Amino acid sequence: MKRDNFNIKTTLLLALTIVSFGCKKITDINVSPNNPSIDKATPQVLFPSAVMSTAGEVGGELDIIGGIWSQYWTQSVTAAQFKTIDAYNLQRQDFNGGYNGLMSGALADYQLAITKAKATGQNQFLLMNTVMKAYTYEVLVDLYDQVPYTEAFQGAANLQPKFDDGFFIYKSLITEIDSALAKNYNVVLSDADAKVDFLFGSDPGSQMDNWRKFANTLKLKMYLRMVNTHATDAEAGVKALYAANADFLDGDAAVNVFTDATDQRNPIEEYTVFNLGGNDLRASNTFVSWLKAHGDPRIKNYYGTANPTPIDQGFYTATQAAHPSYYTATAPNLAATDPVYFITTAESYFLQSEAALRYGVGDAKSLFDQGVTAAFDQYGLTKPADAVYSYPASADLQTNLKAIIYQKWASYPNSHCLEGFFDQERTGYPENSTVYSTDAGYIPGQWVFSKNGVTGGRFPKRLVFPDSERSRNKNTPAEVPITQPVWWGLPNK
Amino acid sequence: MKKLLLVSLCFLVLCITQVFAQNRTVTGTVTAKEDGLPIPGVTVKIKGTSVGGVPTDVNGKYSISAPVGSTLVFSFISYLPKEAVVTSNGVINVTLEQDNKQLSEVVVTALGVNREKKTLGYAQNTVKSAEINKSSSINLLGGLQGKVAGVNISNVSGASGGSTKIILRGYTSLTGSNQPLYIIDGVPLNNSRPGSDDNFDFGNNANDIDPNNIDNISFLMGSAASAIYGSRGSNGVVIITTKKGKAGKPVIDFTSGTTITSVGYVYQPQTEFGQGWDAHFVLGENGNWGPKYTGQLQPWGAIVDNTQLLKPFSAVKNNITDAFDKGIETNNNIAISGGSDASTYRITYGNIYSNGVLPGDADKYSRNDFSLRGSTNYKNLTIDASMAYNAKNGDYLATGQGPTGVGTTFYENILQIPNDIPIKDLRDYNNKYFNVDNYYTPYAENPYYNLYENGSHFKSDHIIGNINLTYKINSWFSLQFQQGADINNAADKIWFNTNSPTPGSWVGGGNTEGAVRKPDVGAVIEESHQTYEYDSKLQGLFAKKFNSDFDLNGLIGVNFNDRGSRDLSTSVQGLAIPGFYQLSNSVNKPSSTEAEFHQRLLGFYAQGTLGYKDYLFATLTGRNDITSTLGINHNSYFYPSASLAYVLSQALDLKSSTLSYVKLRASYGETGSDTNPYNINNVLTATNIALGFGNLAFPFQGVPGFTQSNLLLSPDLKPERVKEYELGGEIRFFDDRLGFDATYYQKTRQDQILPVAVSPGSGYLTQQVNFGTVRARGIELAVNATPVKSRLVNWNMTYTFSHNKSIVTSLPPGLDKLNLNQDGYGGFLVAVKGQPLGLLQAPVPLYDPNGHIVVDAQGFPKAAPSNGTYGTFQHDFVMGWSNNVKVDNFTLGFTVEWDKGGKFYSGTADLFNFVGADPKTTYNDRNPFIVPNSVQAVTDASGKTTGYVENTTPITEANTDDYYYTTSNKAQAWSRDILDRSFVKLREVTLSYSFPKLVASKIGASSAMISLFGRNLYTWLPAGNHVVDPEVSNYGTDLASEYGEFRTAPPLKYYGASLKVSF
Repeated sequence: MKRDNFNIKTTLLLALTIVSFGCKKITDINVSPNNPSIDKATPQVLFPSAVMSTAGEVGGELDIIGGIWSQYWTQSVTAAQFKTIDAYNLQRQDFNGGYNGLMSGALADYQLAITKAKATGQNQFLLMNTVMKAYTYEVLVDLYDQVPYTEAFQGAANLQPKFDDGFFIYKSLITEIDSALAKNYNVVLSDADAKVDFLFGSDPGSQMDNWRKFANTLKLKMYLRMVNTHATDAEAGVKALYAANADFLDGDAAVNVFTDATDQRNPIEEYTVFNLGGNDLRASNTFVSWLKAHGDPRIKNYYGTANPTPIDQGFYTATQAAHPSYYTATAPNLAATDPVYFITTAESYFLQSEAALRYGVGDAKSLFDQGVTAAFDQYGLTKPADAVYSYPASADLQTNLKAIIYQKWASYPNSHCLEGFFDQERTGYPENSTVYSTDAGYIPGQWVFSKNGVTGGRFPKRLVFPDSERSRNKNTPAEVPITQPVWWGLPNK
Repeated sequence: MKKLLLVSLCFLVLCITQVFAQNRTVTGTVTAKEDGLPIPGVTVKIKGTSVGGVPTDVNGKYSISAPVGSTLVFSFISYLPKEAVVTSNGVINVTLEQDNKQLSEVVVTALGVNREKKTLGYAQNTVKSAEINKSSSINLLGGLQGKVAGVNISNVSGASGGSTKIILRGYTSLTGSNQPLYIIDGVPLNNSRPGSDDNFDFGNNANDIDPNNIDNISFLMGSAASAIYGSRGSNGVVIITTKKGKAGKPVIDFTSGTTITSVGYVYQPQTEFGQGWDAHFVLGENGNWGPKYTGQLQPWGAIVDNTQLLKPFSAVKNNITDAFDKGIETNNNIAISGGSDASTYRITYGNIYSNGVLPGDADKYSRNDFSLRGSTNYKNLTIDASMAYNAKNGDYLATGQGPTGVGTTFYENILQIPNDIPIKDLRDYNNKYFNVDNYYTPYAENPYYNLYENGSHFKSDHIIGNINLTYKINSWFSLQFQQGADINNAADKIWFNTNSPTPGSWVGGGNTEGAVRKPDVGAVIEESHQTYEYDSKLQGLFAKKFNSDFDLNGLIGVNFNDRGSRDLSTSVQGLAIPGFYQLSNSVNKPSSTEAEFHQRLLGFYAQGTLGYKDYLFATLTGRNDITSTLGINHNSYFYPSASLAYVLSQALDLKSSTLSYVKLRASYGETGSDTNPYNINNVLTATNIALGFGNLAFPFQGVPGFTQSNLLLSPDLKPERVKEYELGGEIRFFDDRLGFDATYYQKTRQDQILPVAVSPGSGYLTQQVNFGTVRARGIELAVNATPVKSRLVNWNMTYTFSHNKSIVTSLPPGLDKLNLNQDGYGGFLVAVKGQPLGLLQAPVPLYDPNGHIVVDAQGFPKAAPSNGTYGTFQHDFVMGWSNNVKVDNFTLGFTVEWDKGGKFYSGTADLFNFVGADPKTTYNDRNPFIVPNSVQAVTDASGKTTGYVENTTPITEANTDDYYYTTSNKAQAWSRDILDRSFVKLREVTLSYSFPKLVASKIGASSAMISLFGRNLYTWLPAGNHVVDPEVSNYGTDLASEYGEFRTAPPLKYYGASLKVSF
């Protein structure tokens, strides 16, 4: 019996040793050596990441949709990748990447950076992140009409955030910008901190001035979005900006850090050319015919040749026998090193010109001219003599507006295409053509209904709420047709 | 002290015997009836005494002192005991006959404990070495397909050394592992697939075990059987026992097999329409959308130096099969074993070499296996140790879709060759008509370029070993300590060559359509993968008979497991010098990632079986685990099991000539399982933005970027729970010539740890939660029969049937479905509450209220706003029928498996339809047609549908191809890509001949056998599947793989011969 006791004791002792050794060790080893803990986040590491997420979507997948729907490009007859876009046949499962990337990629990081910047008093990062948050949100609101805002980014605390009305989000974003501008942000950042700012960090001396200008220009753009449906707010907002002597962008707000190296390329080039082989996008006759009609030298910058071969919009089903030229159509001239523009210099002047036109807050003609000059400067060119490049100075607002918007439309390719689509939805320019572009009576530049369009002659005006929300968030609003304008759009006739 | 007492007692008893009887020394030899060889280790005992007998020595000889007239009992495991009366002669030679009945079958149960099968209250299947190695499979489980009820084994890739998927009792884990735990000689094996992904299958670690060294494999199916293994036992356990040396003179076993491999089922293109697009012949097109075959000679391919090749415009016979070669596989193994009464040894060397069905060396594979196993006894201490080392080297070809912009894949390119172009001819990929510049189409590349210029190499060094010390403290209690280690060091290298069509050449824009193929920039990837696992256990085992009615045996123990991995991957894109595959050879800087994982588990467990009168057995087990991977409040958890076995035939004395055995089983078991390391605290990740196609990865211009991880984690995670009960029974008739074994089970896995998609508006895309319950119910049936049993002819057969239905019974609130896998186009494998696990959901046509298909302005069906369900991946049933007919020295065996029902997605079918190769694309002879039963919607000014009118817009001839493509006819594409999963396969046929003893002895052998065999010789697929064997997949080896395949390699057929000789 004694022997037995001894053994049981030994066993227990051994077991206890292992337990005490094990338990302590067991709880210690579960800290990831692979990823930093969330509380190690700083605005310095979050901001560049978020900016690149915005650029990746706005200058990538959304640029493809913008480029096709703004009729710069169309689907190639010998490939198939973007047929659903060109046929206006996008459904809730299609192209969720843009929404997901902007929400959980860009905006969640801006929001976390804002929280961190507030806590540490880094007002420069507060302003930078707030402006980029507003820019990114604006793109989402313009595409989807409503998105989660007040209840967004709360993680486990709210997994089904409610959707807020687009106008409300616009106003709230402007308030956020104003509050960031009210802080003492204009302190020069250290070189290391300035460097993380891909937009204006290369010139630390004027970096924060440029952020203020970007903020003001963005506000101006947002107010002008309201002209159709909230005219009073639009006018009051624009006038308040001018009353406060707001200064606007006189340079590009752009991400210009792309190189022709692995995972470092301009997003639309990486997506459609490097990865998809450049077989999908082709020149659209809509834009090509306009450029040719006005002798626009930018045609070579946009398509790589002065005489591109286009395809009529959406006619990707044409046979080689009937339309042989379609089979040798020209691809857009996308380069790996192209910047992604958030607001171009030209766009800033055109926005100011429209404000002056509508509210008399400046000299619309001179601002228009500056816009055209800046647009051609972008490619080191000078504007041609054609009349469309001169301000009509008509008594009719629409005549002048049409001139401005056509010039904006002609300035957006290749990495800023979405804006052309938004401008048309807001102003109706370029006009919708009553005939297809193969018709003798076709007026170059007017938008034609895609040959394979499935929406019965109505143009797309928005994206449907993504499946990633629809299937996970019961607060997702009811689905509306892709042809229904967003809250600021011109109503369908 | 106690032992001393015992020994004294023994002496005393012996003395008493000596006093009471007239003893004499009896000697003799015990031999086996089958081969006439002496059997060492047979226990020789005097009947009616409780004294331990004597064992026979290495020559089968024994010597015992016994009274004249008493009876000697000769007993040995797996032999029928024999009795003989001691006469004054003093010599008793005995031959023992092998016990083919399963009455006293001893099986290996959890924790390596040998138990009589009749005491088990749960289903357990054991297969022996002979069955495993019947057809010389180089994989552990390759020879067992269709043979064991409830055990589903499939080879997911055609490559030698590719992974084997095994699922016991269906799927219950939604996103975790459904893989069983592998235990080899008592220690767990890390069965990961280092380096494998959708493009490359480098094999799973369990495949490294040389099947020639396996003595038996036991499948513990249910939770009651596996609960004591703890967290990892919840999917069942595969217990592998390696061969041991036997006492006796050295025995040399030599086996050698040579197998020819060829492609199994390959897709069958239509033979009516040839190269072209939009119903026209186009020289440079990669589709079968041209005119009807004419059989006339006509030029084809690139125009090079003003000349063109000529061939008839007709379908090429066996075009796909001829694209491949025959492969060869050799499998040699030599084992030397032997030992004395106290010690045994077994040393083996195995060599496997294979060159697969791809032309050239693109799929070579070799493996060298060394193993050592030895045991020794010293007094009460037994030491048993084993070590296996294998060195694996393999070359593998990418499947699926190549990395875009970098390179393309063989299988995707081969699919895009019109069926009138002889694929075989393209092998000469440097020929001026088939090279980079002048391949016939700019839309694809020469598959043989992929074969010879791209590739991968995988190598691993894998060591598994354990040492097991058992100390017998007294007659009923022993203490055991076992330390195991499993260390794997693997590395792989993947390369894609760079190429760029010369501008103006056929592929560089000189073709009739002016299309230019973009250059492939090429890439090199170097990876290393290390895994380690150390497992220690200390346990006390006891077995005690209280009186003639009750006996108790069991164990109590503690187990410590420490495991982890380290992976390093470095890659670079854009090769500077073509054909030189080195990380330095690039215009770009290489990028690297590393990942380390480490986890620990401490478990305490106990198990006890109480037996009553040798016919009623009750077993209880309990285990408590403490894991490193869960939060401090949830990291300790307990789970129990209970089982009951009742041998009715023995209890009620029912045994008769008709009824030979009846047993009932019932059990209930729970298991719990933890999660992966680092799954509870939120982190940042280095930013890599996926663009849809391509990526943006930090750093940019020297600026790093980190982003909040899209996966939301929480320390409140609890362990998962599996609860399972099973009822079963065995009944055997006619002296065991007919037997039935049936089991019904219900297994519920709850509190599953899974990443659930959440609203992107929350700032995250997924959240790790405990939720989701899957309930699997099923039956397993095995029928064993011996229809003919005579001296000359012996026919055994086994029929197995299993049916499992896994149902999702709950999902997190607000979540109506969970995504398990998806193709790139919009089809999904999902879990939906209240539905069978794993529904295939994809776009479906929009119907009007009267059931007509709604078409758009172009006459194409519109897709409904939500995806529809095409079915579940789950089979209705799986059945197998194995036969073994022995006629004299010849044995014929064959196994047929029939898997019925279920669906799978085929990415091969998708491309097969796109290029107009599927016979389905010849609908209406490719003339214009109006989608049958279709309507068009009438809409008002606001875009609202107000009614429907009959559709009169036909799908034009030029649009016919678009009708079969995913993006242009999304509504119906999946109706052609989601196929019936059913198949019938002739799994195995073997014919072997055992040389008579006399003949064998002429070459000095004790036994010799030659076999001819074949595996997967014939595959039958249902109508509608002209495309792919449903067993193949390149989506891994778990639940996600059940979605189907994406342009993967065809399966293989095997046929060959083997020789087994023992000296």
